[in-house]
Amino acid sequence: MKIDVKRLAKLAHLQISAEQEKVYAAQMQDILEMVEKLPQLESKESLVDPNNPMTLRKDIPENSYKRDVILQNAPQTQAGCIVVPKVMD
Amino acid sequence: MELFEHTAAQLSDMLAKKECSSEELTASVFDRIHSIEPEIGAYITLCEDLALKQAKDVDARRISGEELAPLAGIPIGVKDNICTKDILTTCASKMLYNFVPPYDATVIQKLRAQGVVISGKLNMDEFAMGSSCETSYFKKTRNPYNTAYVPGGSSGGSAAAVAAGEAVLSLGSDTGGSIRLPSSYCGVIGLKPTYGSVSRFGLVAFASSLDQIGPIGRSVSDVAMLYQAIYGYDPHDATSVAAKHESTTFHAGNNIKGKIIGIPKEYFMSGISTEVHDLVMKAAKVFEENGAILKEVSLPSTDYALSAYYIISSAEASSNLARFDGVKYGYRAEKFDNLIDMYERTRSQGFGDEVKRRILLGTFVLSSGYYDAYYKRAKLLQKQILQEFNDIFASCDLLLTPTGTDTAFRIGEKMGDPLKMYQNDICTVTVNIAGLPAISVPCGMAASNGMPVGMQLIAPKFEEQRLFDAAGCYEANIGNLCQIPMDIKKEVIS
Repeated sequence: MKIDVKRLAKLAHLQISAEQEKVYAAQMQDILEMVEKLPQLESKESLVDPNNPMTLRKDIPENSYKRDVILQNAPQTQAGCIVVPKVMD
Repeated sequence: MELFEHTAAQLSDMLAKKECSSEELTASVFDRIHSIEPEIGAYITLCEDLALKQAKDVDARRISGEELAPLAGIPIGVKDNICTKDILTTCASKMLYNFVPPYDATVIQKLRAQGVVISGKLNMDEFAMGSSCETSYFKKTRNPYNTAYVPGGSSGGSAAAVAAGEAVLSLGSDTGGSIRLPSSYCGVIGLKPTYGSVSRFGLVAFASSLDQIGPIGRSVSDVAMLYQAIYGYDPHDATSVAAKHESTTFHAGNNIKGKIIGIPKEYFMSGISTEVHDLVMKAAKVFEENGAILKEVSLPSTDYALSAYYIISSAEASSNLARFDGVKYGYRAEKFDNLIDMYERTRSQGFGDEVKRRILLGTFVLSSGYYDAYYKRAKLLQKQILQEFNDIFASCDLLLTPTGTDTAFRIGEKMGDPLKMYQNDICTVTVNIAGLPAISVPCGMAASNGMPVGMQLIAPKFEEQRLFDAAGCYEANIGNLCQIPMDIKKEVIS
């Protein structure tokens, strides 16, 4: 199977040089060959483990972190907001 | 004997009897770090001032007569993908080179509440993706038994630090073998707990359905003590399992009389080095001499486990790592034309090669038209593997396998060939796929290169005590399993 690394990179928001593209394509081909050895299995059952249903905690409002603490990790801030490039014209 | 050379169990006793203080112990560990860290490179961030302050606080509490937890005052290193409030948490990636979490992971909250001293943050493969600790953005960690060799990965810093005496204990994380493989390569004991028994809240996600935090130490008691300190239900982790063994006190047992130990034949076939095979079988004899019954068993789906693992883990990684976009935290590209360009440049510059490879593979297996052929098939195989384990545990108490196919390899030896690197995990991934607990225990040194070899014991879900019983029995027979190599072998790397 031919893998379109360029398209995958676009989907994953990655930029890949032409040189890297070749290396990745060859390596992914090897990995897929290994992966394709999986047996064909059929099941109508759900993939969720019935013995271990995940439980979500209740949505109860509680004190959270202060805005300035959270913003300390942001690459660029202004007036208590995170700055990003313009999204709409 | 210096303080840093003792096990946590010994130190806990010494601290309680006031034969030493936590400050003296912490200073001893940092003396060791300063003398040896240039050779090993286990840490990304050292917290010496903070650790000494924590140590003094614990000492003051002890002097005032307060009853303290067993691990109070003992310095522990933490893998750098576990969030520590006000301490850098980088995941060994350029993407998070400056990330200072505003909160502690649940395991860290628990340890702090018990007065544990945090010595620093340990090196790893970038975002825990790798088996050699070589994909770290910051540095390569070296094996304390011979610095020309890798420590294994991804928790390479966690295993190397404990092996070299740069931490009494450490925390690692294990998605496909990342605690057990480096423990085997560095000659220490590492536990991958049952999925859901230790909270993942604050562990930077790689493959959420497989990731699990666990302890690494130099004695079975040490590993049991640290597991005791971190396990338990946490409402902040939806996959955390409520109180299956809430009142258990974990300890190194010694009696395995009458226990049936299964030897799955698929783990001893081609691909396993003769030395590893022989040392693990020699350990099996020790169990037999102590009254255990050995039984050959079969896990037929083992051959497919690695494929299922790489599909599931890469799919989840591509989804989990979508959050790193240069907006809210971490690295942001300096120059860009627009928002999409900022995402792309940030991610392309911030992630290393291995991380990109897994994101691409994950994107592929989840993409339209391929989901059923890859991801769904892998999830069905996961069910089948779990069923095979359940069937075997109906007639066995434990399973015994090698941890790695061979000893540690030389730095650089496998970096150009991802498939060869992935094969290192062949004995460990099934355990993650089935969500089981497993422990890697040193079982000798390979004569060919003098490097440690580990055996893996696997138990049914929430039966960690069975692992401590068997490992403890082996330790009681052999004696000290993990000796700190004081004279570190340095080979010129060609």
